[in-house]
Formats: sequence, C-alpha cells, structure tokens
Amino acid sequence: MFRNQYDSDVTVWSPQGRLHQVEYAVEAMKQGSATVGIKSDTHAVIVALKRAQNELSSHQKKIYEIDTHAGVSIAGLLSDGRILARFLQTECSSWRWDYKQPVPIKKLAEAMQLKLQANTQYYGRRPFGVGILVAGYDKDGAHIIQTDPSAEVVSMHGTSIGARSQSARTYLERNVEKFEKSSPEELIVHALLALRDTLPAEENLSAQNTSIGIVGKDAPFTLLEDGQVAVHLNQVSTHPRTTAQAQGDAEPMQM
Amino acid sequence: MSSIGTGYDLAASTFSPDGRIFQVEYAQKAVDNAGTMIAIRGKNGIVMVADKVISSKLYTDNANPRMFNVNDNVGVGVAGNYPDGFSLKNYAYGEAMKWLKDYREPMPVQNISNAVAEYIHIHTLGISRPFGAGAFFVAWNKQSGGRLFLVEPSGLNYEYKAWAVGKHRQAAKAEIEKLKIDELDMQQLVKEAARIIMAVRDESKDKNVQIEMGWVGEHTNGKYEEVPEDVVTAAEEWATAKLDEDDMED
Repeated sequence: MFRNQYDSDVTVWSPQGRLHQVEYAVEAMKQGSATVGIKSDTHAVIVALKRAQNELSSHQKKIYEIDTHAGVSIAGLLSDGRILARFLQTECSSWRWDYKQPVPIKKLAEAMQLKLQANTQYYGRRPFGVGILVAGYDKDGAHIIQTDPSAEVVSMHGTSIGARSQSARTYLERNVEKFEKSSPEELIVHALLALRDTLPAEENLSAQNTSIGIVGKDAPFTLLEDGQVAVHLNQVSTHPRTTAQAQGDAEPMQM
Repeated sequence: MSSIGTGYDLAASTFSPDGRIFQVEYAQKAVDNAGTMIAIRGKNGIVMVADKVISSKLYTDNANPRMFNVNDNVGVGVAGNYPDGFSLKNYAYGEAMKWLKDYREPMPVQNISNAVAEYIHIHTLGISRPFGAGAFFVAWNKQSGGRLFLVEPSGLNYEYKAWAVGKHRQAAKAEIEKLKIDELDMQQLVKEAARIIMAVRDESKDKNVQIEMGWVGEHTNGKYEEVPEDVVTAAEEWATAKLDEDDMED
C-alpha cells in the first residue's frame, strides 16, 4: 500500500521532513464516527454520532463531562479517547485544588497539546489514534478546541472531525457567521444539521445514535441522551437533507 | 538524495560513512518547508515576523500563535512543526521559571537559548527523534542593546543581526541584506519586515496568509510584546502600497 522505509517508527523523520506514523494515526481518527462542535458568544455545543457493534449491543459512549464547565467529544479509537478524557478530568480537578477555581480552557488545551506531542517524539509509545473536541465556558467566554494525533491543538468557531467530517465542515463554513449570536437551541440545531451531513443518504440521526453536550454562561455542562435528544431531532427533521456529500472520504471502519 | 535507501538515515544514533547524521538533516527539512519567519535587529530594538496560512475561516483569530513570552524580557518565535515548537517554548518557559526561583532575577536571553540548545542537542543523540522546529530568542536592554539568537534542530545556537527561516528564507535573507538595518528605527523596521515577508510570498501557492509580529526594544522598555494589531495592519498597508509601486517601476 503506502509502505516505505520511513514509516515503521514514530521517531523517524522522512527525508522530506515528515512523520509518517503520526500521519497514519491521523487517518485512524478520520475513520471514527463524526463529531461536531460549535460555539456562540455564550454557549458551546458538541454533538456526536454513536455506533453500535450490532443490534444487541449498546451504542459506544462518545461524550464525556470533564468538569462542570467543560466536556469532550471523541472521534477515532474510543479507548484512546477515554484515556485522554480521564487525563483532562484529572487536569481539571488538580487545577481546582491548586487555584480554587475552574481551569481556563486555554490552559487545558496547552496541557493536552504537550501530552499529545510527547507521544509523537518519544520511543516506546504510539500517538493517540484519536481526535477530541473540547467544549468549554470560562471567564473568556465559550470555546471549542480541536485536537488531533499529530498534536495540532487549535481553537475554533466550529469544527468537525471523524468519518466524512468534510461534509459537516462545509455546512459550518457556509453558516459560521450565524453562530456568534445564536441561542443555545439554534446552536444545537446547527450542530445536528452539520452532523447529519456526514451520514450516507440511507441513514439518519436517531435518539439512540446521537448525543448532545452543551455548556455555557450560568449553564453547567449537560449531556443530553435518548429522550432529550429526540426533542432537538424533531426540529432538525423539518430541514430537508442536503444532497451534497463529501467525495473521497473513506468508508467508516467498525469500532 | 544519495542517503535514501542506504539504511544510514533511519536513526539519529547512526553516523553515515561520510560522517553525517541524516535524521537531524531531515528534521531541519521540517523547518525549511514551514512558513517563513524573519527576525531583524534594528537601531533600537528587534522585530520578529511570521507568515501563517489560515486554511479555514472556522479558526478563531490568531488560533495558533507562533510567538510567545519566555519571561517579561525575552520573546520566542517558533518555526517548523507546530507541536514540536510549542514543546520547545514550554521547556524554555520552565527553564526561565527555574532561573527566577534560583537567582531571583529574570533569565538572560543568552542563557535561555543555550539551555534550549542543550535540550535540543540531547534529542540528536538518538534516544528519541530530533525536534522538527527551530526557535528565535529575542531581547533588548540598555547595556547590551538588541540580541537575537536562533536555535536549530541540530542544537546549533548562533547569534545574528538578522536571519530568516522557513520556505522563503533565501529570498528573505537577500532582501534583508539590501537594507541598512542598523540605521532603522522601530517604525521603519516593522514596515520593512512586513514588506519583506509579503514580497517573498509565492502568490500562486501562499493564499489566505496572515502576518504575526512580535517586538522588543527601547520603546517597550525592554519588555517583549506582541505588536499591536493596528500597527501590523498599518505596516501591511504600507508594504502593499510599496510593493505595488515597485511593480509599476518594473
């Protein structure tokens, strides 16, 4: 396939100055089911598409609360993501212990970036095969942070990662001007519409396969599932499906 | 490259038969291929300027800054692989903090760049991969004037009057050499730096690019600072006009 002699180890530079193992880990993230995050002036929302191995199993949890003012959503290897979510939970609680106040989201992003970077440089580890969206609210307002296995950590107005996420990003880029002044309910609808664009035509969002996390001013992080999701899905179902689907995105891998 | 496929280029712990360490050279490539960054020492201060590609409007403003304070007096500008650069900045910050705790005074710029150079050098010995990033360190004070250092992925650490790294470094250095930089005051320096970084852009490839600037000098009282947004915008406007004018003459 892509094999070349510079891709067997994370700690090897290719002659062009690239790290192939790290780039492959980014591919792992792109195969996980999609997740979308957007923010307004006052709120940040993350929505995620959950997968089930078969009809008998439950859907994999994708959104975690990490503190009362922040939550994360995961795309990629979910077990790697859970480790990172636990890391962030620990960062949040130790900051609270040290400073008696919630951790600023920027500091959380910096800690995360350093942890991810170490896994791209030091021998004996592999990069995390996972991307994470952090939704948080602090004294500087609402934040959406995007991370990936190459340790690129960046603050966004709105973004999407995971399988066919390009379709969601296309929706977000078309509507980004509207987010700033949106109400929490409108934000959720925008996020769900973007998420729906990542689905093939024969599938749809349902109360079982969708989760929603929201945090904002005077509103601690809340994870909506099942019945609470259905209310928002009803609003989305009145919008017609866009036919534009991303081209060239890989088929999702079952995980 | 003749090195490829010989097996002497797979680890930083391996010398090639003619005495080269290819892994370090490849890491340098990561810097060479990244966005251009320039630092220039003028009459009474130093300015750093970086060119950054903004690939989507979904990014927040200045989402990935390349320039930071190490302490109040010293600024760092990282070029190359961003996460590696961020890690270097974090190490520099930690060292400066340790120095402050031990000596109760801010760590001088030369000591910072030396400490970072040693740290980078350890990564060229083969235990882990070399850093794919380089770092400018800048400072200014009344006694010694402006000082500008560059630490490279090999661990080399030189002091410069002015230097450029990244994609268009050669063209940028040629432009810098045309100037009498020792005579430029801060205002002229910022303008010329903006002009150079814009002039060396490849107009067909470098789209949606943005300038980031940092400075330190007499006017900031020796404190390293981000250049205010309106000053950057004014410099860009001046540079655009100047470049158009030059085009007309051609």
